[in-house]
Amino acid sequence: MHFDWVILERTGAIIGGIIVGVIAFYALWKDWKTPGIENQVFKLMLFLLGFGALLAIFAGAGVLGNFGKAA
Amino acid sequence: MAVATLPHGGVHADEPDQLYIETRDLRLQGFLLFLVSDCVLFSSFIFAYLYLRNSGQGWPPPGIPRLDVPFAAWNSVLLFGSGATMHYALENWKHGNFMKYMLCLVATIILGAGFLGGQGYEYTNLIVNHHITWSGSGIFGASFFTLTGMHGFHVFVGVCYLTVLLMQSAAGVYQGQKHFGITAGTLYWHFVDVIWVLLFSIFYLI
Repeated sequence: MHFDWVILERTGAIIGGIIVGVIAFYALWKDWKTPGIENQVFKLMLFLLGFGALLAIFAGAGVLGNFGKAA
Repeated sequence: MAVATLPHGGVHADEPDQLYIETRDLRLQGFLLFLVSDCVLFSSFIFAYLYLRNSGQGWPPPGIPRLDVPFAAWNSVLLFGSGATMHYALENWKHGNFMKYMLCLVATIILGAGFLGGQGYEYTNLIVNHHITWSGSGIFGASFFTLTGMHGFHVFVGVCYLTVLLMQSAAGVYQGQKHFGITAGTLYWHFVDVIWVLLFSIFYLI
């Protein structure tokens, strides 16, 4: 039986990206009013983490990363 | 040696908790400065890569195949997921849930090691199947292996750091509000995640 790893990778990227994105943005929303310099840094990094998860979702779905020629 | 002074000029030589409280902000600022210096290091390499990329004849250069985006996306999710587990490790520590903290920390270490394994697989695939090397594939090979290798080294250091944190936590080194090591570990791990967001974008997506 032929097993297509690419489909598994794309599915994993999309599902994993959604989970991580939800967790990151939920944590950001929950910590939004916390004071202190480290919490400001955490908030910035959580936002970027959520943004990265969105990128992974789009890359997994084939929306991003289609430049150049295929191998 | 860190020394904290009392308002009246005395020294807290025999009160580590007071010393900890008074020097915590200094250590936090020092650690943030370290992260900023690491940002500068990565920025210089990233801007050099972008400059070289835009001064050439299209991207990827002739003879270089497109990178495996689905695999990189999956591998990225592993690293981003480890960022989420690390965040909740710190949150659980702050709320006194020691077992959940330990579980999240172990999950972070496993996911980080998984990312390193994925990177090793990708390197092997590029070198063996596509004959792309650091020194023999022009700008692409040099910049790709330098930047992702440097990041991979940071992840490796982070995995070692978190493993030490795990052992220290099990040994009871951190107590209650005295957990700067865990905060610093979380900051470092988030930093490594954020750098990968950039590298993932510039190498695989644009």
